[in-house]
Amino acid sequence: MERLLGDLKSGECACVKCIQGGGAIRRRMMDMGIVPGVELEVIRRAPFGGPLQVRLKGYYLAMRRGECAKIAVTDINEELIEQPLASR
Amino acid sequence: MKIALVGNPNVGKSTVFNVLTGSNQQVGNWAGKTVERKSGIIQRANQTIEMIDLPGTYSLTAYSQEEIITREYILRENPDVVMAMVDASNIERNLYLVLQILELAPRVVIGLNMMDLAVSSGLTIHTAELALALNVPVIEIVAAKGKGIEEFLDEAIRVGTLSQDPLPRKVPYPQALEQKVRAMEGLLSKNPWATRYPLRWLAIKRLERDPEIGQDWKASAPGISQSKDSCCDTGYGVSYELLKTTSLPGEELLETYEAEGWSKDHFEMAFADAKYQYISEILPKFRTTINPGKPTWTDSIDAWALSPIWGYPIMMAVLGLVFWGSFVASAPLGGAISQGMAWSAEVIVRLLQWGQAPEFIQSLIRDGIFAGVGAVLAFVPQIAIFFAFFSLMQDSGYLARAAFLGDRFMQLMGLHGKSFFSLVSGFGCNVPGIMATRTLEDPKDRLITMLINPLIPCVPRLGVMSAVVAAFFPGSRGSVVMLSLLMLSMFLVMVSALFMRRVVKQTERSAFVMELPLYHIPTLRNVLLPTWQKTYSFLKRAWTFILVASIVVWFLSSYPQGVPMQATWAGKMGGWLSFIGAPLGFDWRIMVSIVFGFAAKETTLSTLGILYGVAANASQSIAQAMTGAMTPLNAYTFLVVYMLYIPCLASVVTTYKESGSLGWTSFGVAYNLILSFIMGWIVFHGGQALGFQ
Repeated sequence: MERLLGDLKSGECACVKCIQGGGAIRRRMMDMGIVPGVELEVIRRAPFGGPLQVRLKGYYLAMRRGECAKIAVTDINEELIEQPLASR
Repeated sequence: MKIALVGNPNVGKSTVFNVLTGSNQQVGNWAGKTVERKSGIIQRANQTIEMIDLPGTYSLTAYSQEEIITREYILRENPDVVMAMVDASNIERNLYLVLQILELAPRVVIGLNMMDLAVSSGLTIHTAELALALNVPVIEIVAAKGKGIEEFLDEAIRVGTLSQDPLPRKVPYPQALEQKVRAMEGLLSKNPWATRYPLRWLAIKRLERDPEIGQDWKASAPGISQSKDSCCDTGYGVSYELLKTTSLPGEELLETYEAEGWSKDHFEMAFADAKYQYISEILPKFRTTINPGKPTWTDSIDAWALSPIWGYPIMMAVLGLVFWGSFVASAPLGGAISQGMAWSAEVIVRLLQWGQAPEFIQSLIRDGIFAGVGAVLAFVPQIAIFFAFFSLMQDSGYLARAAFLGDRFMQLMGLHGKSFFSLVSGFGCNVPGIMATRTLEDPKDRLITMLINPLIPCVPRLGVMSAVVAAFFPGSRGSVVMLSLLMLSMFLVMVSALFMRRVVKQTERSAFVMELPLYHIPTLRNVLLPTWQKTYSFLKRAWTFILVASIVVWFLSSYPQGVPMQATWAGKMGGWLSFIGAPLGFDWRIMVSIVFGFAAKETTLSTLGILYGVAANASQSIAQAMTGAMTPLNAYTFLVVYMLYIPCLASVVTTYKESGSLGWTSFGVAYNLILSFIMGWIVFHGGQALGFQ
């Protein structure tokens, strides 16, 4: 099932499918390790529509909902778990 | 030998740098940028080593100023060895940068830091296996305890003196990509550029259509400035001049690929993807996970510090502590400095009297130089303590949390979460508030935050305002009036931010993608050293301006001699300017006090005291004297203008130094002046229309 990262509830995990848009924002996400196939966990969502705290590759990232809406994610299925995925 | 220290932000780079260089540091700015440039000279094994601490960066692409600097330095200065610091608790993202460096500069030593944090989150990194997997020497270090740092340097020197470049393992790209890299390599191999940079790196960058490839730059400045001042010279580093741009071969090939759907973006993504893929492939060789689900320190603190209910009260408490420490607890120190200055002025004046120096020189020394400079020096303890708290918050990781919590409000103004702390600091003093904008990555965001910061009333201004409010609006009305003023300031900050966003041209809005680093306890040295450097550089930058301004203000306010205040030059200026004040219901006295307030706003009350003929220095009695001459509406208008116009000379000087632009500084000053008078006009006439007196 494909969703956007911004729609995830806190505590939910998902796998990055693709990043929409381009330019500096996309490159920034790439530098921070958000590439297709990476597992993400939404830790918490700041109140009043504030940013999301996301865990990936063992570290924490804060991202605005607007940016999260550019990241399409899929549920983590078995096939992906078998891969040597680095994120916990 | 030139050694560059590179790594992600928050990996402990500056700790290592401070341990290695000790007091032989030169701190300044990178040419044309407001990013700190730190270099130092070390003597080891008969070698003179120039060590440079490059700004923390996540990659070698060009995103933020920091990344551009790091990349340009490695590309153009070609350091002999790169010491790459890696955070063991976050090794995947850290290795991404290392792989990028390895493609560009093969002489690399990895310093593996924060093993303790890794262990506490259930990870073990096997150093030997990591070294084997990458074929790069790896040294374990505990930067905070100073362990392994000498070994790290020794290894770097050893790698630097090797006769041949070592061969680190290459990142294997997928078949389709590897073919394209090879094809490009074939085209570029005979090009003279291939002798300057590794061929593979050149081919990759050519495929990414990196604009820097093919550009010749000439360094036009001294390498290391041998300044007499060992601590903190301005250290303006090398600046570059573009000599010529050669177009490299391969344009046709690039067009063919583009037709096949391999655009510049596609290549960038594919290379990044392959690097991460490679890291996750080699990861099991050197990292073992024990007990993964265990919550770490950071998890437990964040459960409170970022909680929707407790997060904001905790932040208020932390900020309250910072404010109390910097602006309340430091007051005796500031007082002592003013007294010391007054005392030394007295001593010098006595000496001058003994030496029969003319009266005006005595006055210049006492009322001009010592009074003016002393007024600014009295703020130095505040600024120093504030910087200590600032370093503490930044190093411990809490600053990023404050940005996380404050981001929602900043978003309303079109600003970045990191602007939040700068703006909040403005309530203490605008000078450190403006200097705190350095944490912002995007130069445009930084400029906007800097320009709107003066609209926030600082502690001295709030003090004067509350004295005036208490005199005109006694009892509970006072707090309503004060609150309305603060609300107005907030509203204008917000509107101005949105306005500035239109004025300051920005090609691309910066993304709010910010790391929340793991919490850790900063070392004392890492807190105190930057505090000292920042305070020193503030004084060093500002003292000439402040000295000159003090003399000018003294001159304007004491000449022609022996006349009442309104007949001095400054008094006349106030008189000339009364045509501006008239529509706001201001008389010449208010205008004079506004002119005098430019040097430092806390002097406004004493100026008014003299003008209204109140001898006593007590702020209450001055304000009481004003009540006879002004209506409450006049007073409210005065408060609005007073709150909004330029905070003080020091803040203007700081804006100039931090923005590096005279144009933007003048724009900011003009904006403040015009805005304050327009608001005053609206309040005065609006108030009259509504029937207030």
